[in-house]
Amino acid sequence: MKTRKLLSVTTTVAAIAMVGLALSGCTSSTKGASTGTQTDSGGKITVWVDAPRVPAADAFKKAHPEIPINIVQIDSTVGATTTEQHFAQFDAAKKGWPDAIFFPSNDDIAWAAKTGYTANMSKLTPDLVAGYTKPVLAQCFIDGKYQCLRNDAAPDVLWYNATLFKQWGYTVPTTWADYQSLAVKIATEHPGYISGFTGDAYAPNRYLWASDCPTNDQVNATTVHINLADPKCTRASDMLSTLVGAKALSTDGIFDADATVAGQKLVMSPGAVWWGNYLFEQTWKLPKGSMQAAPGLSWPGASSAQMGDEGGGLWGFSSHIKGKELKNTEVFAKFVASDPAWQVDLTTGLPAFTAQQQPWLTKQAGDDFYADTTATLATFAPAIATVPTDYAYLLYDTGGEWTSTIAKDLAGGKSFSDAWTDFGTDLTAKAKAAGYTVVTSK
Amino acid sequence: MTTNTVQARVGAGAPSRAPHRRAHPLMRRREVAGAWTLMFPYIVLLLIGGVIPIGYALWVSFQKSPTLLEPDLTGFGGLAAYAKAFTDFRFAQSFIDIFSVLIIWMPVMIIAVVGLALLVHASPGRFGSIMRFIYYIPGALGGVANLMLWVYLLNPSQSPISGFLHALGLTTIKQVVATPGDLAVILSAMLLLQGLGQWVVTVNGGLNSIPDEILEAASLDGANAWQLAWRVKLPMIRQWIGYTALLNLAYGFQLFLEPYLLNQVASGALPSEYTPTQLGYWFAFVGHDFPSAAAMSVIIVIITLAIGLIVVFRSGLFSVEEH
Repeated sequence: MKTRKLLSVTTTVAAIAMVGLALSGCTSSTKGASTGTQTDSGGKITVWVDAPRVPAADAFKKAHPEIPINIVQIDSTVGATTTEQHFAQFDAAKKGWPDAIFFPSNDDIAWAAKTGYTANMSKLTPDLVAGYTKPVLAQCFIDGKYQCLRNDAAPDVLWYNATLFKQWGYTVPTTWADYQSLAVKIATEHPGYISGFTGDAYAPNRYLWASDCPTNDQVNATTVHINLADPKCTRASDMLSTLVGAKALSTDGIFDADATVAGQKLVMSPGAVWWGNYLFEQTWKLPKGSMQAAPGLSWPGASSAQMGDEGGGLWGFSSHIKGKELKNTEVFAKFVASDPAWQVDLTTGLPAFTAQQQPWLTKQAGDDFYADTTATLATFAPAIATVPTDYAYLLYDTGGEWTSTIAKDLAGGKSFSDAWTDFGTDLTAKAKAAGYTVVTSK
Repeated sequence: MTTNTVQARVGAGAPSRAPHRRAHPLMRRREVAGAWTLMFPYIVLLLIGGVIPIGYALWVSFQKSPTLLEPDLTGFGGLAAYAKAFTDFRFAQSFIDIFSVLIIWMPVMIIAVVGLALLVHASPGRFGSIMRFIYYIPGALGGVANLMLWVYLLNPSQSPISGFLHALGLTTIKQVVATPGDLAVILSAMLLLQGLGQWVVTVNGGLNSIPDEILEAASLDGANAWQLAWRVKLPMIRQWIGYTALLNLAYGFQLFLEPYLLNQVASGALPSEYTPTQLGYWFAFVGHDFPSAAAMSVIIVIITLAIGLIVVFRSGLFSVEEH
């Protein structure tokens, strides 16, 4: 009886609320994409950076004390959706966006461009855009205009442990077929030593992007081409299947805490140029003089190397601002993209901005971390040209699908072919859920 | 309290009511005014935290369902958002996932809560209150602190139970959480440790409300501690158990934080839309589709309400029937 009475009270209250809601006119809109009007703070800028980019913002503050700046550190987990959540709420509220952001995942540029957040850099800072080579900025070219600037170039090279190679008498592979057979040989002759990682969101970039497998192939604004049965995919998946079967790869991801242990047993792997500095030297603390980079690998029948690209972060700038706030944001853009105080002195990756690449390489040469530092650094800038440029960052997160299917299945002991099937099913389903039409041939 | 208990023991079936008292109209009006005054703060909070958001969610859920590729889909959309949520490829799986957690967690939780509360109640004095405090401690580690504790427990390279994890062939935290079937058990264990203590305290409160005379009478009749617990105390705290079951079910059904953060700990090696609330989150903040997210919330509210109403009206746990 008591509950019934309570229910009737609740119903009354609910009815009052509904009427109130109806009377309030339900004015708010749920529409996602809206540029709205541009505002001016009077000069103060707000920048969102992930943990490794905090020094960039701090260096800017030091270099430009006249510009008031609010530095916000954001969740830097690759594949995290926290930043996107904030932006979806800003879009709904039509205010609150930061003036500049370092996107935690490169895929973020897709929704940021679609929601109208990112400013047209071709128009805003054409001289900055002109300071990059075309391939390095290819993923920023969205809907006919450059919508982001690149912090660092992150093409893959072939990393190997020169000490172990010398000791065991191996020759450095130059083709993906050589890489495969040597990796199997290493796993047989020296069990426990590994030739790569499958557990992180960059793994599909390392192997599938390198193979030009259509996972992120945009046909037009609303259509994508995904076909994991394509020969360009199967040559990579067959290789991975063999390597996983031979226990030549670690199921860890490169950023896992456990990878510090596995990393000590890394004999070779395709990996981004920033692996040297960030992973080997700073995170895993591998011995000085052991690691070495070689130029990329080529697929059968091809004469030149073809490699993937892992990150190489993107800076986005707000289209919602004007006046002094916009001017100051442009100064910030110029600083983080091209100023040596950040791009040479502090950053761990090869600068994407062409003019700063040589000064950065010269500085790295002084560090002399590698077995042959000159030869290692000589592979970095040319590697940019080995990356297929038709890969687009899209509204579905290929790296995230990889970790939640393949990384999960392999860690859980499933076979690679089962994991590959799961990945294909999920990737297509996610692309469709994001609203794309998926075609299997172009 | 006493009248309630007596009624609980005597009353049979629904129609039994306390005799109507004809109060003076003025007295009655004052009583009503007093009741409303007492209820006012609750009603305000209910409106702000419950009724208005649910009303807003209902309204949003009947809008057209946009995507970032079709942001112009606005206006009244009928059941389109519900259709989209229902036909999503993760919809059924997310409910299977959450039920696989609930089916492990709920029985263990209820048995543990009631069992421990009876034990605490049967051990009066200092020992009982110390135990009650010890059981409560893990519950004080709410939210993120609880998660950090679990990350430490589940990591084979740091865990005090690393021997056990290694014996299962698990050497990394990713393997621990990503091995099929592990996640539901881990989440159940997390929920259990987090909630157990405070519910033991709650049910213990129920046990304390049993009048001493009844327990004394039972003892005089020759009931031992076991019979006292099983035949006297347990039937008399049925409502408390029902309340525990109901609130825990509602809480567990909306599981979000634990699987969301565990996924980050495992470097993304878990499904990012494991539970229905996570799928709702995806619709809102990754799919940029608030109507479908609202539809998911409404579906979850309906299911939770339905379970709640079944518990309240059908199970007899809240009724005044005699045991």
